[in-house]
Amino acid sequence: MGHSYQAVQWNPNKKRYDALLLVSVVLYLGVFLGVGFVWFPEATAETLLLRALGTAGFLALHVILCIGPLARLDRRWLPLLYNRRHLGVTMATLGLLHGGLALLQFHGFGDVSAFESLFTSNPRWGSLAQFPFQPLGAAALVILVLMAATSHDFWLANLTAPVWKALHMLVYVAYGLLVMHVALGALQVESSPIPLVLLGVGILTVGGLQVLAARKDRQVDGEIGVSPGSDTGWIDVCAIGEIEDGRARLVLASGERIAIFRDGDRYSALSAVCQHQNGPLGEGRIVDGLAVCPWHGFQYRPKCGRSPEPFQEVVPTFPLKIVEERLWLDPTPLPLGDESGSTSGGGIRA
Amino acid sequence: MRDDSARDEFFIGWQAEGPPRTMRFVRARVLWWIALALGVAVLAAISQRPFASSNFEFGAVRTFEGVLEHVPFPVLVVDRPAADPAGPSTSRWLLTVFGKRGAEPHTRPFDGARVRLKGSLIHRDDAVMVELLPETLAVLEERSARADDASAATPITLRGEIVDSKCFLGVMKPGNLKTHRACAARCISGGVPPVLLVRDESGRATYFLLVGPAGEAVNERVLPYVAEPIEVTGSVSTRGDLRILRADPEAFRRL
Ligand code: HEM
Ligand code: FES
Repeated sequence: MGHSYQAVQWNPNKKRYDALLLVSVVLYLGVFLGVGFVWFPEATAETLLLRALGTAGFLALHVILCIGPLARLDRRWLPLLYNRRHLGVTMATLGLLHGGLALLQFHGFGDVSAFESLFTSNPRWGSLAQFPFQPLGAAALVILVLMAATSHDFWLANLTAPVWKALHMLVYVAYGLLVMHVALGALQVESSPIPLVLLGVGILTVGGLQVLAARKDRQVDGEIGVSPGSDTGWIDVCAIGEIEDGRARLVLASGERIAIFRDGDRYSALSAVCQHQNGPLGEGRIVDGLAVCPWHGFQYRPKCGRSPEPFQEVVPTFPLKIVEERLWLDPTPLPLGDESGSTSGGGIRA
Repeated sequence: MRDDSARDEFFIGWQAEGPPRTMRFVRARVLWWIALALGVAVLAAISQRPFASSNFEFGAVRTFEGVLEHVPFPVLVVDRPAADPAGPSTSRWLLTVFGKRGAEPHTRPFDGARVRLKGSLIHRDDAVMVELLPETLAVLEERSARADDASAATPITLRGEIVDSKCFLGVMKPGNLKTHRACAARCISGGVPPVLLVRDESGRATYFLLVGPAGEAVNERVLPYVAEPIEVTGSVSTRGDLRILRADPEAFRRL
């Protein structure tokens, strides 16, 4: 997996994104503190800061969880997905500051260590209304910080993709823990209905978008599904002119997504699952003769499935043949890096 | 839709500039999101539960004089200004030290003495506490003659919430209820006097210093009950302007 993590580099887009992110966070904290002090002159700075940081981090997590499904529903959101890592690190930092401040304020300077106090100061584990909500926040924080710390592609390469992906699926666990952290904590105490409404809107937005995106994925799978045309395993995909130049046609065969890319009159079948983070390679394009993943721009040679040097990712390739102007696919993967599956349409253009 | 053609564009993150229509789409929406986030900040800020008008004069050190007494928590008995001839002639101020700690280990050797000390005021309604700087404790008179103004005890049953006197009187806002529970437990465990906070129908608060049946400290035993509604049966007496509730934590009842 060698040098793959060098793929992430700085460019003007990324710098603008980071600058805007930083300005937004500072504005959020400033508005919360400013409005808080004007509205409640009796308030203490520590409490306002604690709440500003907590709500900012929780809001940022909502944004993060919305970007994925939005990008699946409409690819124009993809630029936000590309830089999502920085949003994640920012969110974890806000959570860390909030949690650190809470640990100091509520548990520090006492007769036992702050960490021991975090888990022992409220013994009401058996009650829902009195349940210790702070350890829930702490558990979420551990997940978020681990994710942030391992978010760089260096770790993706070193932890191996399955471990890394499992770790990053924990973001949903962290979200659930934080919902409980807020519902069993601040919401038990606040007298206004607004916090409850805000939390409800947040959960519905994240949940709703996830459901919509999952439904769209199922629809796409339904459209691309084909069944084997004969017992030899070859599948009749489509007429060769039907695939737009530079794009791919998706096929779902034996539960696997396969992308048939067309570059001029050459057709190549690749696994449609990007080796980087399982991105939808089949929704990518051919740019400069390479299949490019829409998520973070990883590139693969259509013929052999290998990333260009120095990158070392490889996606499986599949045999293709053209019979009477129609494309046929054998969904049995070739040995990694095998070029023999690719076929030329003999100059026929759509 | 004007931006529809952006669907044909292909964004590649590592390229210096993204495709124009896609980037316009994203920029417009990101600005809306930022506006929305600031709206959330305003809503979240103004929907907080109102803050108490208690006060901790953090960093403001003053000098106080009075007689040290232990009930069993240390209190400083200070003379009231003569301006109010109808009221009691003294006030009792609870003492604490920095952090989630009681002052008793520092004050015990000077029990009954008239002392001078430095510290910062913590106050709420007419209850006062001093966070004392222990090294400033100086004895003015070894044994101070002073009238014992304790009343007889009367049996009573009260409903309220146990808070730690230090945070509730002003160091933390909020200094009670569930979000503050852990901190209250830590303070009480560290020796800060526990107080039963009782509110009448109009919301006016009365504080009862909480001790065991024999007037002993029962801090460790009240810990499981802090910051939630409970009913306490015991006997109440006064000592100057302090209300002291003697009760067995065994008989506390959660509501
Ligand atoms: C060690 C970890 C954590 C601790 C000890 C902790 C502690 C607390 C405490 C004591 C409160 C109540 C404060 C109050 O309202 O007076 C609170 C509220 C809250 N926390 Fe956390 N928290 C932790 C982690 C997190 C994380 C990681 C997030 C999200 C990124 C988060 C988000 C919130 C939110 C949104 C609230 C409600 C708003 C507020 O009252 O501040 N917390 N937390
Ligand atoms: S998933 Fe990251 S580039 Fe494909």
